[in-house]
Amino acid sequence: MSDAKKIVIPCSGIGKAFGTVAREATYQLTETDHQSEYKTMCLPLLVAGDQEAIDLLKKSNVYTIDGCPKKCATLSVERIGVNVAMEVMVPKVLAQNTEHKPGSVLDIGRNGVLLAKDIVNKILEEGSD
Amino acid sequence: MSELPKVGIISCSGEDCPGGNISREATLRVLHDLRPDETVTICLPLFLAGGEGERGFAKRFPTITVDGCGKLCAAIGTARFSSKPTVEINLEDYDDFSSLKTEEKWHIQESSKDLVEKLANDIVNHVDEIRKISE
Repeated sequence: MSDAKKIVIPCSGIGKAFGTVAREATYQLTETDHQSEYKTMCLPLLVAGDQEAIDLLKKSNVYTIDGCPKKCATLSVERIGVNVAMEVMVPKVLAQNTEHKPGSVLDIGRNGVLLAKDIVNKILEEGSD
Repeated sequence: MSELPKVGIISCSGEDCPGGNISREATLRVLHDLRPDETVTICLPLFLAGGEGERGFAKRFPTITVDGCGKLCAAIGTARFSSKPTVEINLEDYDDFSSLKTEEKWHIQESSKDLVEKLANDIVNHVDEIRKISE
């Protein structure tokens, strides 16, 4: 396994339930059983041009979770010159787990939490090096 | 029917700090419950990832930025890519900020619900004031 840090960045989306699901998946990954391996970072730091955040991403393996086709997390990381190790689109994961349709942006409900778990499993299964 | 402009609210929603979750929750409270017809929002990262349409947001709408910490990502990002915010709110200016717990970045604690309400009400006051000035 690489010594590089693994950083998971969700899209920070505030308009749709999928943004909240991306956020939930990030916390499931970084605040529970896998917190020694995966960390997160505020995506808005890149919008503000925070150099410390940019430098850290440049020496990390970056996993992005996007809630819509605008792909804010992935494109923001790429725009600072960092390659994304793995990119997850919430709607695509839902298409493979249609029984886990989330509720609203304010409350994704049990199915939203389960969809987030699907995303975590996908990253653990396909994103490990 | 009111012709007053809608007011933009942009939350930092920072994932790695408790204040980001508070700013997000308070912003959603205003957008969904308190002033749903008077306010609009945009995902902050769209300023970097999006195009000219998204970057025109703060030029089109008088905008309130809501930041969860002193890094002021929402205020700086909005000014950098769109236009200087009309109002900049920083959660660090609130007395309750220092009592926020790390786990609140995921789940807002019962003890912080008052802070969410206080922040939401302050946003509402700014929304009403901006629209009043526009009359």
